[in-house]
Amino acid sequence: MEARKVRRLAGEAGRSTLRALGDLLIGVGTAVLALGALTWLIAVAVTSLIGIGLPLVPSALRGLHAAADVERARLSRRGEEVLTPGPPPRRWRAALADPATRRELGWAARHATLGLLLGALGLQLPAWAVRDGTFALWWQLIPEGDRTPGLALWTVRDWPGVLTVTLLGLCWAVVTVGLTPAMARLQAGYGRRLLAPGPETDLSLRVAQLTATRAAALDAHAIELRRIERSLHDGTQNRLVATTVLLGAARRMLTRDPAEAEALLERAQSSAELALAELRAVARGILPPVLADRGLAGALNGLATASAVPCRMEVDVPDRCAASVESTAYFVVAEALTNIAKHSGATQATVEVRSGGARLRLRITDDGRGGADENGGSGLIGIRRRIEALDGALTVTSPPGGPTTLEVELPCGL
Amino acid sequence: MRIVIAEDDALLREGLALLLRAESLDVVATAGTPDAFLAAVDEHAPDVAIVDVRMPPTHSDEGIVAAVEARRRRPGLAVLVLSAYVEQMFATELLAGGARGLGYLLKERVGRVEEFLEALHRVAGGGTAVDPEVVAQLFARSRPDSRLDRLSPRERDVLALMAEGLGNLAIAERLFVSEGAVHKHIRSIFNKLDMAPDDRSDRRVAAVLRYLDGRERAS
Repeated sequence: MEARKVRRLAGEAGRSTLRALGDLLIGVGTAVLALGALTWLIAVAVTSLIGIGLPLVPSALRGLHAAADVERARLSRRGEEVLTPGPPPRRWRAALADPATRRELGWAARHATLGLLLGALGLQLPAWAVRDGTFALWWQLIPEGDRTPGLALWTVRDWPGVLTVTLLGLCWAVVTVGLTPAMARLQAGYGRRLLAPGPETDLSLRVAQLTATRAAALDAHAIELRRIERSLHDGTQNRLVATTVLLGAARRMLTRDPAEAEALLERAQSSAELALAELRAVARGILPPVLADRGLAGALNGLATASAVPCRMEVDVPDRCAASVESTAYFVVAEALTNIAKHSGATQATVEVRSGGARLRLRITDDGRGGADENGGSGLIGIRRRIEALDGALTVTSPPGGPTTLEVELPCGL
Repeated sequence: MRIVIAEDDALLREGLALLLRAESLDVVATAGTPDAFLAAVDEHAPDVAIVDVRMPPTHSDEGIVAAVEARRRRPGLAVLVLSAYVEQMFATELLAGGARGLGYLLKERVGRVEEFLEALHRVAGGGTAVDPEVVAQLFARSRPDSRLDRLSPRERDVLALMAEGLGNLAIAERLFVSEGAVHKHIRSIFNKLDMAPDDRSDRRVAAVLRYLDGRERAS
């Protein structure tokens, strides 16, 4: 019991460290961008004092906005979405007075210095941990003068010294695990604070966007209701009507020809059973009960097992999402697997589902012939509609010859 | 009586054919699409067509369109429309114009074989068959200040059966009264509703439906 618990905790610490290191690494990238934008801005500002820099002011501001947008995209991918405050002012006087631009400037100053430092340190720590931790294996292979620990404070001459360096490596490892998540949070924190739209920002753009997706949601809803009505009237009800027709015929036959009546009753019964099966299918189409019983991971694994094409399913979704999001994810995977079986000629499909921050990400790949066309009557249009109804995004990559990849991003809605 | 069945659901189509053939009726052809149905009408010259409202390709009202076309090609062809649900407006519009040799029934009525056969024969003989559900909805919709309130409960029953397309004798059998009594009720009903009495049952149905639908109500 204890050993398992320790292993689980170690696994968690390892995952969060790796994630933090990834964040810090990409953070270094945006920090370099911020540094570039800031340097250009300062250069333009200084030269503007003597007049020659003035024509370059718009380009400097554009550079700043672009760097900020890249950082917004990074933060949005890694957690809660950071909204764009809307189009910045064009003229430099207005830009200097624009609170959003001023906050972007504050962010750039911080990210280019503190952010860069945090990122560099965050990447240096594990490097030292590895270097010093493995020092004992290779210290004798390098020239004597170079035998120093990662942080080259002294030169190692003997085995006790090597032991010290190994212990130091262990310390670096502990520090890495202990500090990097906090460093990543720190590096992202001021960005979240300064790059989000302030209270003065006009959110009408965002409102327009949400209005559009809401309309799409209502459309998708209406189409869905129509589909359900169809399957009830044209499927289930027809089965039941057939049942009553057969029962009626059987009753008329009862005295005339009991054997024939028995045969009719038999058919009536199987027709009623068909009606039940269709009713189950319709109900499952509204909201698959397996989602409630087993959660998203269990439901998706069920789909993988039932898939006609062998399917590898990797689900890493620690928290539950809103029911509508989970059922959309379920339908998208179900529809995609059906598509793969029907059209792609693939021998293997892979589905990866991850949740990060407030987003659910799906990636569905197959090794088939590719060339999937959204207007070709495949299920792709339906998939896109369902996803966009929830304010999500779908990217389809399907060159002729394959492979086909569907990337789906859904807000978790919680 | 030569019958053609147009129904896209294979099981139901075969069930219907089986039921009618077991009653020694002559089902000359069955069709799953409007085109196949029209071809069968041309080829087999049937007396009655039993048509499902929803048929391919769009499953909306292809059956109705096909039935109208079939009646254009073969005047006097009796058509019994089967529907999964009551579309009130559609039913009254179809029947109030000229209800001769037309029927509009819910699909599940087929299971009550005796009544279904009665309706089928009525339609084939130039009469009318209106689903009780259509009539019930018309009654439910009528305004509280309507003259219908003046009718006695028994008269309302008679009116409903008239609206369904039943003749005097059939109404008498349903209500377990004499034909003479039915005749008296009908005279009284037409009196109270200010309608001209009409003994031809299809015209009578049309008039009653128009009345119930509110288009001939005295203002």
